[in-house]
Amino acid sequence: MPGARVVAEGVSRAYDGADVLHEVSFAVAPGELVALTGPSGSGKTTLLQLIGSLDRPTRGRILVDEFDVGELRHPAAFRRATVGFVFQLHYLLPALSAAQNVELGMAAAHVPRRERRERSRALLVAVGLGDRAGDLPSELSGGERQRVAIARALANRPPLILADEPTGALDSEASRQVWKLLSDLSAGNGTTVIIASHDLTLSEHADRSLHLVDGRLTDPLAAPEDPARGTPVQDPTP
Amino acid sequence: MTALLQTLTSLRHRPGRAFLTALGTALGIGTIVALLAVSAGATQTAGTFVHLGRSDLGLFQKDAADPTTSVLSTTLITRLRRQRWVSDAMGLQLLVEQVHQDPGAIVFGADAGSFETNRMVFSAGHMYTGPDQIVVGDALAPQLHTRVGDLLTVGHRRMRVVGIFHIGVSEQDSGAFIPLATAQAISGHVDEVTSIVVKIAPGTRLSTAEQRIATEFPGLLVISDPDEALRAGANGQLIAKMTLVIVVLALLIGGIGVMNTMLMSVIERRTEFALLSAVGWSGPQVAGLVLSEGLVVSVLGAALGVLIGWVGAGVLIHVLGAQAFVSPDVTAWVLGRALLIGILIGVLGGIYPAWRAAHLSPARALAQG
Repeated sequence: MPGARVVAEGVSRAYDGADVLHEVSFAVAPGELVALTGPSGSGKTTLLQLIGSLDRPTRGRILVDEFDVGELRHPAAFRRATVGFVFQLHYLLPALSAAQNVELGMAAAHVPRRERRERSRALLVAVGLGDRAGDLPSELSGGERQRVAIARALANRPPLILADEPTGALDSEASRQVWKLLSDLSAGNGTTVIIASHDLTLSEHADRSLHLVDGRLTDPLAAPEDPARGTPVQDPTP
Repeated sequence: MTALLQTLTSLRHRPGRAFLTALGTALGIGTIVALLAVSAGATQTAGTFVHLGRSDLGLFQKDAADPTTSVLSTTLITRLRRQRWVSDAMGLQLLVEQVHQDPGAIVFGADAGSFETNRMVFSAGHMYTGPDQIVVGDALAPQLHTRVGDLLTVGHRRMRVVGIFHIGVSEQDSGAFIPLATAQAISGHVDEVTSIVVKIAPGTRLSTAEQRIATEFPGLLVISDPDEALRAGANGQLIAKMTLVIVVLALLIGGIGVMNTMLMSVIERRTEFALLSAVGWSGPQVAGLVLSEGLVVSVLGAALGVLIGWVGAGVLIHVLGAQAFVSPDVTAWVLGRALLIGILIGVLGGIYPAWRAAHLSPARALAQG
């Protein structure tokens, strides 16, 4: 599946009257690997949550392909089909094995059990954990847990991966492996990947960087090249 | 499958809380099962009294504590026999806890030659012909190790066993019969009986006979259906009302217990539900997960409650002093109702927590970690 196009147009998000994001505009082309950098509290997580429809902008709009994600009637269906999340804390369910954690999103999409099993095994092999499918999260290292989380994010073959500080809790070797996985994904599958990180050095691995400070983008090149592209505000999710 | 696994594993990870919630539900369900079983047993016993000897109607004193404490004058029998719509009527005196060797056995006082005693088939001996003679049911005789010619003590009276009979009604085959006058003397109710059983004349409708008795014999409770028989006793009515109250209480307390547990679980696991939401679980799917957890807990509680109720029914009958004439009757219907109530508790208790989980803000929950 080709990657998703992401366009943000004058996006602001305020909590209790205070802007966390202020008039943010940018565009990400399909298949791009974009590093979203900035210090803690700059609004990176909020922006990723808005793109992934976990939250809604106070002003402005975000388009992922033809969807205005702030106006979705069924955001869960959108997330299931379009977005794969990777968080700083892996959020693996402790009672489930690595393979069962990978299957969670597929279960929501009603993928048949046999296919779920086959796909989860293949994904775990792809992230180098083919022999750890039956292990519980407590039996895995931090880097291995994050790789399981990446496999989970890929389970429904989304065109967009949103990774929020995926290497924040990892040592340098594990961080390198996770970055390689995500960049291979972008290069190999054409998946759009947006990675938020406070570590500016990691942006070297990305196609492009967006830098946030106090809720504002500092890079003028981040603005969308063609903000008027299309009028995609319909929500075709069931 | 993953959802079911998730349900079971999350309960397994909180075994103490799940067990205590299930136990709370179990106590409520157990009480209901015990009361329903006692109620069903009382109905069965009262039904036996009504249809003793293939009678059509059983007459009891209104507002008696239970069927065995009803007291009716024998003059009513004579008056009833004079009615054109009555084929025959006879008095019956019940004695409970009077056989020293087996207090649970019921002794029936009835005249020899009545339509009731005429149905007896004797495997040994014959019908009583004197005041101090007794015939014993073939289910009771082996328990007492008694044979024809032995002596049995009923109340303070020594009586000679003259026959072993079979009649085909378990309460009677597990009991004994003595002459009506002897039973009246033992109970101290001379010229009185516990119940009058009536055979209506051919061609007379049952409902007509019931209406005639109601108008011409005030103070009598007419029972023609075993299910109605429970009305004959205030204890029965009390049990029926208690059951209803306990059902409502169990639903409330059990439902609140399940709700409390599930709410705590939802608050503790908000990150988990936010993650499920992030990977594409819809609100109804998340709600279904919470509801199914509540259901599993309450159904497990109901199953445990059935066991508690089964034992509790026997204890309750003992406490009520009714073991002589009522056996708990744990029927499939009793068990079915208990499980249904368990499911209702799970659903009622799970609705609000499920709603909370489904409407959780994933962004906020993930930010809070």
